[in-house]
Amino acid sequence: MSAARAGAALPLIELTAIDKSFVPQRPVLRRVDFDVRPGEIHALLGENGAGKSTLMNILIGLVRANAGAIEISGRPVDLARFGPSAAARAGISMVHQHSTLVPAMSVEENLCFADPSGGLLFDRRRAASRLAELSQRYQLDVPPGARVEDLSVGQRQRAEILRALDRGARLLILDEPTAALTPGETAALFPALRRLRASGRGVVFISHKLDEVEALADRVTVLRRGAVSGTLAAGELDARELGRLMLGRDLSALERPSASGGERSSPLMRLRGLSAAGLGGGCGLHDVDLAVHRGEIVGVAGIDGNGQRELEEVLAGVRRMDSGSLEVDGKPVRPHVRTLRSLGVSHLSGDRERAGLIPGFSLTENWILKASHSDERFFSHGLLRAATASEATRVAIAHFDITPADAAADVATLSGGNAQKLAVARELSGEPRLLVAVNPTRGLDVGSTRFVHEQLLALRARAAAVLLISTELDEVLLLADRCVALSRGRVHAIPADADRAAIGAIMLGGQGA
Amino acid sequence: MTGWWPRGLARRHVVERFASDTLRAAGAVLFASLIAGVVIAALGFSPVEAIRALLAGSLIGPAALTATLLKTGPLLLTGLAVALCFRCGVWNIGAEGQLYAGALLATLVATRWLVGAPAVLVLPCLILAGALGGALWAAIAGALRVMRGVNEVISTILLNFVAIQLVSLAVHGPLQESAGAYPQSDALAQAARLPELARIHLGIPIAVLLALAGSFLLFHTAAGFRMRAVGLSPVAARFAGIVPERQLLLTICLAGALAGLAGAFEVSGVTGRLFESLSPGYGYTAIAVALLARLHPLAVVPSAFFFGVLEAGGGAMQREAGVPAVATDLVKGIVILLSIGFAAGVGGVRRVGPVARAPTSLSGPQADGEVL
Repeated sequence: MSAARAGAALPLIELTAIDKSFVPQRPVLRRVDFDVRPGEIHALLGENGAGKSTLMNILIGLVRANAGAIEISGRPVDLARFGPSAAARAGISMVHQHSTLVPAMSVEENLCFADPSGGLLFDRRRAASRLAELSQRYQLDVPPGARVEDLSVGQRQRAEILRALDRGARLLILDEPTAALTPGETAALFPALRRLRASGRGVVFISHKLDEVEALADRVTVLRRGAVSGTLAAGELDARELGRLMLGRDLSALERPSASGGERSSPLMRLRGLSAAGLGGGCGLHDVDLAVHRGEIVGVAGIDGNGQRELEEVLAGVRRMDSGSLEVDGKPVRPHVRTLRSLGVSHLSGDRERAGLIPGFSLTENWILKASHSDERFFSHGLLRAATASEATRVAIAHFDITPADAAADVATLSGGNAQKLAVARELSGEPRLLVAVNPTRGLDVGSTRFVHEQLLALRARAAAVLLISTELDEVLLLADRCVALSRGRVHAIPADADRAAIGAIMLGGQGA
Repeated sequence: MTGWWPRGLARRHVVERFASDTLRAAGAVLFASLIAGVVIAALGFSPVEAIRALLAGSLIGPAALTATLLKTGPLLLTGLAVALCFRCGVWNIGAEGQLYAGALLATLVATRWLVGAPAVLVLPCLILAGALGGALWAAIAGALRVMRGVNEVISTILLNFVAIQLVSLAVHGPLQESAGAYPQSDALAQAARLPELARIHLGIPIAVLLALAGSFLLFHTAAGFRMRAVGLSPVAARFAGIVPERQLLLTICLAGALAGLAGAFEVSGVTGRLFESLSPGYGYTAIAVALLARLHPLAVVPSAFFFGVLEAGGGAMQREAGVPAVATDLVKGIVILLSIGFAAGVGGVRRVGPVARAPTSLSGPQADGEVL
């Protein structure tokens, strides 16, 4: 067993009691211990924002730790001097989610950049032979001579790994390597990773998928809110336990509102068998069934990248369904922005700066943004009614206490909380019958979060429906009457009595538990 | 982050922005002139003499002023075309080609199709033909962008050369004058010439009115609102039910019509004929005009006038002071760089770059297929 053998060897890298904060008093990592041994695949798990990226950036020298110790093969290194080049010299290499190869060049030419012999000239033929040798040894197939831009996502990833090996990597960090791969490509990647392990290299494997972690990892470290909540050996893996480590166990602190008891006869909105293509190699949506009734908040939990954006875009009317149907009031609807709005479906974007509001537009212009096609109040006979528009905005500013209280100010000058207040106020202003809210409190402080939560609950109290798509499980559990989990583009029911560990297991794709 | 885009609706903001934008534009002009002066001095000429000659040739006396105004007209229309497009996030570098396309179609109408027709018929037809020619030419780039994802910066630049060569082909062939001596069209009949007052043809006041109309369109209509929304954030616009592709096509056609109008006015109001070098690069200078005006249609008027002064005075400077007229191009270039520099420094480079097409899922084939 490789883990046992590796146990004796000195770790390739050992991080001890690492602290990191970018802003004083807001620690991102707290006393994190992490090590990778030669001949080991070490999986790293954690929710969005748990500190995985920061930890990896410390490993590759991009981010400097505030405190703690780093040892490479048993030798302590100076924290202040541990930069990207020091990490590269130590053979630490990262395979990013998005390819960092030059698209217009062949894989061989990309290797030439990193030619260790490093002269002014490069030797394409030598690079080609190195490539062939490496790809043969580790069974990582890349078509020789092909330009990177013509490669598939999986081939690009293999090329990226080969480049790292060519540079003499002893420790490879793979950031969600399977996120964009087809099942077949994933299946092909695993033996290659095992071969890397057998060659005595260390692999850090970041993933959200439990079955992959179970299939590959010798050890698993779970991060939660910047601290290590546990490190398990391969034999001790268990979906419930991992879910608990990832999400914590403070269930008692949460209070779920009781269902409002609105009539459950017919749902306001219903998705049947919805499938949609994935974004940028993402997982897409598969056969999603979902219903939302009046007076209820339905929560969609899940880890980012499991189909949330696709679901949001379908319900906002900007993404086409490949199959399935969307019904509002029992009638099938072709999802389009204006159709949905006219039916009282409102959309609070999860990407405030890019999709919700327009920085560069004033508060007023943002207030009337979604009305430019229909609303007779702000636009009549094709003309903009500036006075009415700024009056309506001023009323909203006063009512929701938005600062600066200036309807003509640029939205880009608002703080995140105030911008979100504006966005929430706008979506609520038409008294929607259904609000699709996506990560409505991401990046907000406590006060603004509370405000948004109150607004959603108030909407529910007015017998409107809310579909809350959020990657914050706490938020979903706090607000929702009913929860489902989105995992790899599929919706899984969450039983009402499920605890966090069970929910975590469902989110990770390990069925039930 | 406060951008250089005028945007709010409140009077106070409009005034504040007007003051700061005017100051910036004046600063850019001053700085550019200063550098040009230094270069002129370094070349061994007297900058004072050069400026005197430039102003004498452009502003002092009725003849000079007329020359300047005649240059201002096409700069105003093409500048307007560029400003509207940039507002909508369409990087139209093709005003020159659209101008030629407009001139070509207008000439075709005047010298081939409606020969001998009375002014009441031929003039409106000629003007419409100019606008239509420019709009159709611009529509090619618009359609390529919307349907095939071709970057409009490239396509509009290349279409400039095609339009210029097309005019060349026409005046050497089917449109060549009956006399057959020179590569130029027949002279337009008197009925096809724009009415003029002291050599200032009707096209120039029309251009000023169109600047007013452009400003009204952008800031007081739903259509202009949608254009600006798309220019600032195509993604947010799509989520708001606006179809960016439609706005893009609409805007570039409108811009093409304005530039084509400039071509028709040149032929009908100034030269009376179509020939190869009809425009001394108005459509290119238009980019400087629009940027100096900070993409505000009203500000395009003084901005076009400023470049009209350079255009008209540059020749005089060369004749009188011996300073090469390209010195005015130096001013042009520096003004462009400074305008973009301000934009980058204040609003972030993001604002200046073409509207990204790739990074959002929303511009993918699925979404496109549905919305168009």
